[in-house]
Amino acid sequence: MVATTGLPAPEVTRPRSLLVGTMFACAAALMFFFAVTGIYILERAAARDAGSEWFPEGVIELGPSGFIFWTLILSIFTIQWAVQAINADDRVNAYVALLLTGLFGAAIFNQLWFIINDTGFAMAADNAQFLFFFVNGTFIVFLIAAVVFVAFTFIRAMAGQFGPRRAEAVSSAALFWNTVVFMWSIVYYLIYITK
Amino acid sequence: MTMTDSPPVAETALAAASPRVVGLFDALTTTDHKRIGRLWLRSGVLALLAATIVGVVLTVENSNSSADDLFGGVNNYFQYFSAYRFGLVLLVVAPLFVGLATVVVPMQVGATNIAFPRAAHGAVWLFMIGAGITVVSVVAGGGWGALDGVSSGERDAIALTLVGTALVIVSLLAASICIATTVVSLRTAGMNLLRVPLFAWSMLVATSVWLLTLPIALGNLALIYFDLRGGPGEYGVAEGSSDIYTQLGWLVEQPQVYAFAIPVLGVLGQIAPVVARRRHAQHTAAVILIGLFGLLSVGGWSQPAFQGANYDEKFIFIVFGLFAVLPVLGSIGAATDTIAKRSDDGDGAGISGLLSVYSLGAIGAGLLLLAGTVAGLARVIQPWDLGGRTTTTAVMNLVLYGAVVAAIAGIWFWAPKISGRHLPVMMGRLVLFDLVAGAVLLGAADFVSGFLEAPAFGYQVAGSTAPLMAVPSDQNLIEVMNVVAAVGAVLIVLGVLGVVAALAKAARSDESVEDNPYGGQTLEWTTSSPPSSGNFSEPPERVVSEAPLLDTVSENGEEA
Repeated sequence: MVATTGLPAPEVTRPRSLLVGTMFACAAALMFFFAVTGIYILERAAARDAGSEWFPEGVIELGPSGFIFWTLILSIFTIQWAVQAINADDRVNAYVALLLTGLFGAAIFNQLWFIINDTGFAMAADNAQFLFFFVNGTFIVFLIAAVVFVAFTFIRAMAGQFGPRRAEAVSSAALFWNTVVFMWSIVYYLIYITK
Repeated sequence: MTMTDSPPVAETALAAASPRVVGLFDALTTTDHKRIGRLWLRSGVLALLAATIVGVVLTVENSNSSADDLFGGVNNYFQYFSAYRFGLVLLVVAPLFVGLATVVVPMQVGATNIAFPRAAHGAVWLFMIGAGITVVSVVAGGGWGALDGVSSGERDAIALTLVGTALVIVSLLAASICIATTVVSLRTAGMNLLRVPLFAWSMLVATSVWLLTLPIALGNLALIYFDLRGGPGEYGVAEGSSDIYTQLGWLVEQPQVYAFAIPVLGVLGQIAPVVARRRHAQHTAAVILIGLFGLLSVGGWSQPAFQGANYDEKFIFIVFGLFAVLPVLGSIGAATDTIAKRSDDGDGAGISGLLSVYSLGAIGAGLLLLAGTVAGLARVIQPWDLGGRTTTTAVMNLVLYGAVVAAIAGIWFWAPKISGRHLPVMMGRLVLFDLVAGAVLLGAADFVSGFLEAPAFGYQVAGSTAPLMAVPSDQNLIEVMNVVAAVGAVLIVLGVLGVVAALAKAARSDESVEDNPYGGQTLEWTTSSPPSSGNFSEPPERVVSEAPLLDTVSENGEEA
């Protein structure tokens, strides 16, 4: 039998403050997003009830927005790969996964910029085009926030801050990232599929 | 046996007697939750003074339709009318409770600091910047809409108001995340959610509701701002409209206005057992009732953008209005039950506790909140058709001044922990009596006027007796009620001036204060007065009930 007397005291359980705080932040971000998309749905329904055309026929194409959707789906795997790698203390894989996720974010930003320019919409033209900008713009703001979060996590990971017992920040970045992916799935359905 | 359930201890040293650095540098760099909380409280009290002065001018304008136009036009009146309402919610009540919670909640849950102290510190400065921008923009002709046309200068000022309001909301959201996270993840060992002190619990409920509802207002603000700055002009700043106020008015109306008064029940539940010198008689019930009140105060769905103009005729609105009374009534009943069972020990301490400033304030705040929810109940009774009338103002004033009274009672109660000083007792009694009396007059007058068909927006064009938005059935009685409301508003300003004087007097005092002068039962009373950096000289012992200090006394055999 192994004597346990004299063993050092266990490490103090660290509070999961960052993860809890990120959960609250995600809830607030989603409520903001639901408010914006809720207004979009109501305005579109009102316009259609009045017999007006919402977006001009054929302007919004499904293809590019679908690329964004599938890229984001892919990024779910890379961000969860980062969480799994940091929990396994596999730092190289964690760096690669975080870097890939950030690059996916930059690619999505680029793709969305292309879509917005491709439509030729103007904010002041009418309510539909204004809301197109507003909903996509809201998503872009949250996407930038998520990329910044991942970038900070990457830098801190590179500085050796995280490990198997301290993966909270990576989990928090993953939670926020997945929330942003969920937001795009709504934007994709509302604006690009059902138009 | 190996101890595995360790209390969460921050990396900062416990109770390190940090050198006291004061001044602007300290205010700009501190991460101590007590100092951050004091910044919130000072901002809230300053805004309270400004808002109540605006309230007096508005009620005086309403009370005498034949007098000169104090505002110089309907547009200016509308700007200050809306500024008073939004200001009372966003610049007064929310910051007062955030400030109180930032100081007290970490100590109540046994934490050494608030969660994310840098974010909490950034939030208070963001709030001050946002509040400053809002006030300056309103003075410059901005506000939440314009009724008599919008000049280009006013358009810019309105845009500035929207930016200021958005910054204020963002700061409140950031502070809410810090407070809610503190309660959820920094609780000491053994403190499950049913053992969290009622004030901390009420702040968790309140900040959760704010986090779910204020972003909706923020989204709407952003929509209006971008529409104003280059959109098609669909969302509020059409020439001569009150659309912005209409879209955001749900923030100051039931059920959302109740969300800003949730901590009233926490203050009441926290103070009642101290007055009674025993455990809270219905602690679990109080926890449930506060949670229920939080659920019934979620009001983001009630904005006209989602529900249309007749949102107040919908079933859910009526249900929320009817049932909101019950948790308030239940919480007051639980507090009354606790106080009724108080132990006096024959030394009269129980009676003196009952007559203490904080006790009178907590009771007054609870009754004002009850009156507000009862007025809200009357407002949803469809045959009375009180929507758009001064009844809505009565609900707002009663609820929000109930919240102000609770916050001030809390400041008196926790003064040893906030500033290390006692606040003057007699002055406190006078101030709270004054505030409660003023709020009752203000609320009762508006409530009665509502039944006389007085419109909530009571501006009358100078020289005309015709009201702008409705035709009251009894103009003379309404004018009497407006005078009563003006007297109430003046009493409130006097009360607020008394608060400022009391705080100034206490700041000059150098008397030493006991660590636990009132027989408090929760962990903040184990700290020194004022608490040192890190709050506790050693980690609190494992908590086994909602009143850990009574457990300590019981174990020592000094209390049955």
